[in-house]
Amino acid sequence: MNIRKRVAVIGAGITLYRRRLKESGKELSFYAANMALESAGMSRNEIDSVVMGTAPDAFDGIHMKSENLLDGAGATQKPYTHVYVGGGTGVFAPIGGWWHIASGMHDTCLVVCEEKMSPCFPHPQTAFRSIWDPIISRPLNPNLVWIFALEMHRYMKVHGIPKEHIAQVAVKNKGNALDHPSAQLAAKITVDDVLNSEIMVYPVNRLDISPPSDGAAALILASEDVARKYTDAPVWLDGVGWSLDSAYWTNRDLYFPQYVAKAAKMAYKMAKINDPPQEVSFAEPYDPFTYKELHHMEGLLLAEKGQAPKLTVEGVTARDGDLPICPSGGLLGVGNPIAAAGLMKCCEAFWQLRDEAGKRQVPKAETGVCQAWGDLMQVGTVCVFKRDS
Amino acid sequence: MSFDKIRDPRKIRHQIGDMECDYIYTAGVAGERFYIALRDEEKLLATRCEKCNITFMPPRLYCDNCFTELASFMEVPSKGVIESYTITYFDRDGQALPEPEILAFVKIDKTDGGLIHRIGEIKPESLKIGSKVTAVFEAKKERKGALTDIKYFKPA
Repeated sequence: MNIRKRVAVIGAGITLYRRRLKESGKELSFYAANMALESAGMSRNEIDSVVMGTAPDAFDGIHMKSENLLDGAGATQKPYTHVYVGGGTGVFAPIGGWWHIASGMHDTCLVVCEEKMSPCFPHPQTAFRSIWDPIISRPLNPNLVWIFALEMHRYMKVHGIPKEHIAQVAVKNKGNALDHPSAQLAAKITVDDVLNSEIMVYPVNRLDISPPSDGAAALILASEDVARKYTDAPVWLDGVGWSLDSAYWTNRDLYFPQYVAKAAKMAYKMAKINDPPQEVSFAEPYDPFTYKELHHMEGLLLAEKGQAPKLTVEGVTARDGDLPICPSGGLLGVGNPIAAAGLMKCCEAFWQLRDEAGKRQVPKAETGVCQAWGDLMQVGTVCVFKRDS
Repeated sequence: MSFDKIRDPRKIRHQIGDMECDYIYTAGVAGERFYIALRDEEKLLATRCEKCNITFMPPRLYCDNCFTELASFMEVPSKGVIESYTITYFDRDGQALPEPEILAFVKIDKTDGGLIHRIGEIKPESLKIGSKVTAVFEAKKERKGALTDIKYFKPA
C-alpha cells in the first residue's frame, strides 16, 4: 500500500441532535462545519476540499441533497464529493476525506455529515419502504425494525443471551449521554424500564431503539506536515477499513457480522494493531439498537463471540471500565441523524484523544475505534484514531 | 431474451410499487424571517456580509464565502431588474396553457441576488431584459408566508 501522507484530525464540530430542529439542512451543516473550523483555528479558504456524507435523500426529501447542502458545508467552488453507504456513511465520510489527504492530493479536507429526518411523514420509516429488493422482499411490506429483530433474535439464540443483558446497553448509553451537550435522549433509566417499555417488534422494546433526529457533525483532516502548523495535539487517523456484503442477507448466519470483522481487520492492520482488546482504549461501535452495540463489539474483535453482553453486565464497557464502549452516549442517547450519528462517534474520538471530552472523558485514552453499519445488514465502516505521542 | 415486443410490463412477472413519501419542509432560521416579513409586512429581507461586500437575497444565515454567521436582517426594495426571462406555453404534462406564462430571474435592487418569479401585466412582445419590475403582493388575508405571497412582478 502506498500511503503518501499520514492523516491527522485537527478540528471537530457538532449541532444539537433533536427530533425536529428549526434550522434547515444547510444551516445545520454550516453550524457543524463552522464549529469545526473554529476549533482548528482555520478559515474556509484554508480548506482544499470537502467531503459530504448523508444517508438516503428520502429523509430530507430533497433529491441529490448533497448538492443542496453544498454552500452550508463550506464547499462553494471547491472540490466536493458526496459519499454514501447508508447507515455506514458517518464513519465512511472521514474515510472519503482520508483518501484526499493520504494520497497526497490535498493538504486539508473538511468532512461534514448531515441528516434532517423530520420533514418525512408520517415517519422517517416510510423512507425505508423502498430500500428492499422489489421482487423478493417488498411483497411482505418489510419494515426495518422487524428485519433487525430477526437478526437480534438469532444473535440471542446462538449464544443464549438473556434480554436483560442486552437492555443494559440502553441503560449505559442513555446514562452516558447525560454528559453530552448535544444529546436528544439522555436519561437515567433501569433495565426494568427497558423491559417494561412497549414491545415494538419482539424482541425489540421501545427503549432498545434510537430515535429519528435532525443534526449535523463535521471533522477537519490535514496532512501531517500541515497539521503541525495548526495544532500541537493532532489526533491521527491511522487506520481505515470498509467492507460490504451482498444484499442477500438471507444467505448468511446473522449472528455475526462478517463484513464488520473484515473492515476492522483492514483498519487494524493499517494502524498496526495486533491485539485489539488490549490495544484499543475505547470504542464507539454503531448502536442504533441495543443489541447492535454488542454485535458490533464482537465484529470489531473487541470481545469473543457471544461475550459482549457479559462484559457489559460486568461493567467493563462503562465509561470507567477497562474497555469503555460508547462513552459519548451513542445513538441510543445522543440521537440518530443517520450519517451525522456516525460522524458524531468520530468527533467523540477526537475529543477523547485530546482530553477535551469533559465529563465524558475516558481515563488513559490512547487509541479509539469508531464503526458504523447499515444498508441491508451488509456494511461495515471502521476508523482507528490515535493520540499524538 | 428480450421483452421489447411486450408493451404491457404487467404481462411479465412483476410487483407493483412506489417510492412515495410525504414531506413537511421547515423553512430554516433565515427562511422563517424572510417569509414572515413577506406575509406580515410586504417586505423583502436580505442579509449582508460587510467583510465580503455581499448582500444575500434570499437571505442566508451565513456567508458562504468567508463562512461568517450573518445575524442581522435588512429590508431591501421589493423591486428589481429582469436579468433573463422565458415564456412557457405548455405545462409539465405537455398540456397547452390557456395563457402563456412569463417566468423571469429578477435581480433585486440593492442586493447581489434575486428571485425567480412570474411576470404579469405585460404582453410577452413588450418584455425586455433589463426592464425594471416591482412586486405585486397577494391580498393580506390570502398570504401564507410563502414565495407565492408575491403574485408576480409587474413593470415598474
